[in-house]
Amino acid sequence: MSLLSNPYETGDFFDEMYAAGGEVRPHYRSLVERLGSLPLPEFERRRAAVDLAFLRRGVTFTVYNDSEGTERIFPFDLIPRIIPAKEWSRLEAGLIQRITALNLFLHDLYHEQKIIKDGVIPAAQILSAKHFRREFMNFTVPHDIYVHICGTDLIRDGSGTYLVLEDNLRCPSGVSYMMENRAAMRRAFPNLFQSYGVRPVEAYPEMLLKSLLHIAPDRGDKPSVVLMTPGVFNSAYFEHCFLARQMGIPIVEGRDLLVQDARVYMRTTGGLLPVDVIYRRIDDDFLDPSVFRSDSMLGVPGLVAAYRAGNVALANSIGTGVADDKVIYAYVPKVIKYYLDQEPIIPNVPTYLASEPSDRKFILENMARLVVKSANEAGGYGMLIGPASSKEEVAAFRAKVAANPRNFIAQDPINLSRAPTWCDNRLEGRHIDLRPYVLCGEKTVVTPGGLTRVALRKGSLVVNSSQGGGSKDTWVIAGDK
Amino acid sequence: MLISLLHRTTFAYAGKAHDSFNEVRLRPVDDANQACRSFGLRTDPAANMRDYVDFYGNTVHYFDIAAGHDRLMIEAVSQVETTPNAARLPVPAVPNLAPGSERELVAEYLAGSHYVPLEVDVWKEAQDALAEGRPDVWSDVRHICRHVFKNFAYKPRSTGVATLATDAIRLRSGVCQDFAHVALGMCRCSEIPARYVSGYFMRSQRKHDDDEASHAWIEAYVPGYGWAAFDPTHDRPADERYIKVASGRDYADIRPVSGTYRGGKTHSLGVEVKVREAEAAGASR
Amino acid sequence: MNPQRRSAMPPASKLPAPRPQANVMLSRVAHSLYWMSRYIERAENIARLLEVNLQFILDFRGYDDAHLREHWGSILASSGDQELFDKHYESADSRSVTEFFAFDLRNTNSILSCVFSARENARMIRDQISVEMWETINELYLFLKSRSTADVWAAGPYEFFQDIKRNSHLFQGLTDSTYSRSEGWEFIQFGKFIERANKTARILDVKYHILLPSAGDVGGALDTAQWQAVLRSASALEAYRRFYVREILPWKVAEFLIFSDSFPRSIHFCVAQIDEFLRRILGESGARPRTEAARASRRLLADLQSLTIDEVLKDGLHEFLVEIAKSLERISEEVVQTTMFYLAESTQEEQQLQQQQQ
Repeated sequence: MSLLSNPYETGDFFDEMYAAGGEVRPHYRSLVERLGSLPLPEFERRRAAVDLAFLRRGVTFTVYNDSEGTERIFPFDLIPRIIPAKEWSRLEAGLIQRITALNLFLHDLYHEQKIIKDGVIPAAQILSAKHFRREFMNFTVPHDIYVHICGTDLIRDGSGTYLVLEDNLRCPSGVSYMMENRAAMRRAFPNLFQSYGVRPVEAYPEMLLKSLLHIAPDRGDKPSVVLMTPGVFNSAYFEHCFLARQMGIPIVEGRDLLVQDARVYMRTTGGLLPVDVIYRRIDDDFLDPSVFRSDSMLGVPGLVAAYRAGNVALANSIGTGVADDKVIYAYVPKVIKYYLDQEPIIPNVPTYLASEPSDRKFILENMARLVVKSANEAGGYGMLIGPASSKEEVAAFRAKVAANPRNFIAQDPINLSRAPTWCDNRLEGRHIDLRPYVLCGEKTVVTPGGLTRVALRKGSLVVNSSQGGGSKDTWVIAGDK
Repeated sequence: MLISLLHRTTFAYAGKAHDSFNEVRLRPVDDANQACRSFGLRTDPAANMRDYVDFYGNTVHYFDIAAGHDRLMIEAVSQVETTPNAARLPVPAVPNLAPGSERELVAEYLAGSHYVPLEVDVWKEAQDALAEGRPDVWSDVRHICRHVFKNFAYKPRSTGVATLATDAIRLRSGVCQDFAHVALGMCRCSEIPARYVSGYFMRSQRKHDDDEASHAWIEAYVPGYGWAAFDPTHDRPADERYIKVASGRDYADIRPVSGTYRGGKTHSLGVEVKVREAEAAGASR
Repeated sequence: MNPQRRSAMPPASKLPAPRPQANVMLSRVAHSLYWMSRYIERAENIARLLEVNLQFILDFRGYDDAHLREHWGSILASSGDQELFDKHYESADSRSVTEFFAFDLRNTNSILSCVFSARENARMIRDQISVEMWETINELYLFLKSRSTADVWAAGPYEFFQDIKRNSHLFQGLTDSTYSRSEGWEFIQFGKFIERANKTARILDVKYHILLPSAGDVGGALDTAQWQAVLRSASALEAYRRFYVREILPWKVAEFLIFSDSFPRSIHFCVAQIDEFLRRILGESGARPRTEAARASRRLLADLQSLTIDEVLKDGLHEFLVEIAKSLERISEEVVQTTMFYLAESTQEEQQLQQQQQ
């Protein structure tokens, strides 16, 4: 009795492993062979070992439902998601194209605003974007790079075409899971790993450090780089510690830093040490109480002044959120065309804007069959999945959209692709997405693979960790089989 | 007209303040109607000054003072030459800006903002002011400002620095900041792009112990002309006696001094403003 | 949570220039390590003190009310919390004192309060300490949270105190074996020995100062038993006996607890450690100390190395012990100020907005 004794039906969905007729795609064949010959108890044993290892290592995230946070292990599925080389190189090119255009876009928005003057994007959309930071106008950033670390979420539709679901340009997370998952897979299936020739992801921390060093103010001696975290109460704290340790840099909180005469220092037992680059995992709003939210205890007063004076560099820059606003997302294909004179290699999901009168009518009338999203909520929150909602829920959401149209977009529901996942003692298809990580430094580099998130609940499309999601290791293989 | 300005702000703290990070918007602008001939900014305790130009084109000076201090004095001294009234271009009578690319560029000044939420009360006030029709945009602006001038009482201390336009409308009173906010709301509700201006006004007759202070008025966008200034507190266009320092959507964008520090509460705040006509070197008036 | 003194940061111009040091760490982390260590040590010391004295009462059934009051009074005096106790409790007896020292959260020096504070500090630096260290302190916390004085009395206080001491030893042992020497080890040790030296000085001072026996009692069974209790409070009875063989004489106990350079709880031993770790923390490598703290520590150590018990007794033991306490206070305060300075983040010193006026 093996894992593959009862192949599941692919149904209407594009399946990563099974092609339309039920035969296994070429790049999954070796995996299928291995799984076919693996006795079930052995598989279970390896699964249990991986779970235990995660628990021991504390690979957790924190869920805050009440004041007491509970730490949970992000469920990990042992069946990898495999991407052949040809597919990947197209994705890589598309991601590089996209982030290059977005960096140019951000520079333009915070300087001459030519894209607005040329009528490509209405000024009102930019000005009303929650994360457009007027304080950042005319700011000079090192090498004109605004987004140093980007996590773009990709999905596949029913025909297997990759689409960009959203960009994450502020504090994208999940990289630590990507690396822990990879380590877990290596331990669980060492031979399979070798035979597939999976491209490594372990170089990520080194590449990240390189991009951070690239933006250091030129001061001659070795620049000092720190990671700034909101602290132990943040849901991604584990990842902050993980990355800081991997890069060999100090992890600090706002209160460990101070600014004097527009220079940033770290409070240490050896006195005040200058800080040159800050990899900050704190939102703009909380970064500096003298400029942004004055009630923030997480930030450093004067940090923006030091940044403005060119004495410290931040990654990611301030104000990048305007470009990952869900409404601005709809304009990104135009952005790529405007700055690069190219068609997007990876298309967007077709999107309707409630702020546009023609779209608004369409959205309000067809809400029951659309996916409607609030412009600025994370993950699966502030979202209505029309086909899966009751009449009351749809009506309530319709009222919200009518009251504040600028804040909403809608999309046709996409049949997300599925991948084989071990559920309730059998292999079943579950919906997945992909978050590759892009680093912009001297060169723009895309880590091969990224985090594949899987919606563990049957039929669910929501892949968020806090809402029943899990993850898989992502294998980008050197060849096509 | 050549005008000398002094603007001194003094904070006194209960106990000591330290790690003070501040931004000041006190430098008069250079534009078609005025030239800033000299500007000096000093603080006590002293600090290194840096500056930048913000989103609205205002010059912002920023500095920090780490060491403990029990008071902070910020003093700006400048000389500004304003274009004489006779040399200023008249504002044309033209229709309001139609939707299009020119309007895109001033979209910022058509939306609601912190002090000027575009609520029903503001809209009603605008309707009242423009009940007789809308011949051209500058005429509308004048009608709006006259409406504010006539229907609101100038009453210091009836409002505070945190008063919103909607509060002032209810109270039917305020000071120049409130008059400006109300007028702005009414312009924006009437689709007229308008912005808040902070600066000074030189009184021709000044009594010895008159309280001088900064002043606030508005500018409205007139197609083909640009930003035209009007003072709702005095029901007149801004002329050579007005010196502009900063502009933005509302008071929140032009705060003369803003920032944070650590330590005891602010015990007192003193502001001294002097606006005087200066003798031009070697010129007669 | 953390003690009371949060002074304002020295102005920039007076801040020490960065010291050339191999291992520099965040002040906040050093601060948490230091206090985590002090609180665990404090909790253990209180547990031992309580245990010994409860045992003493049990053993010495001939104690009358006046003696009992005096006995518990001395314990309260040694902790410096007499006033606080009097505010909340009517009279000092075995149960009320146990309640006050073990479980009362109003007493910042109760075992529960100390363990809570230790755990809070450990939690703040959780990625710094080993998983085992965290689990031990967390389990001790959970264990204490689930107990009350009533439970302790029912099950027998002896077990309870053993558990606490056991966990403290476990924690210290784990720290010893799992904590990297390059990441703040000195702060942990410094905190521990400051706390320990303080406690030994106090225990001794109380006995000499407060439990002055009347002429008739000196050398009597009661007096001897009390001195035995003093030694037991410092876990020093067996060590003392090995050193001095038979007699328990007051001056010998004082000599042992102050001057012994081999017994790990004696003041001399502790100060030698304090001096060593302080030098590492402050980067003092030269023969002549540069900082005030190093100077004070050096002077204290020199006294402990060269003075005799006769000299001390002649000039006044109480005064001597009070001076030691003061020196330790000065030394620890300076180290905290120099390496762990905090901007005053207490509730009085909030972030303020520069206020506006029209």
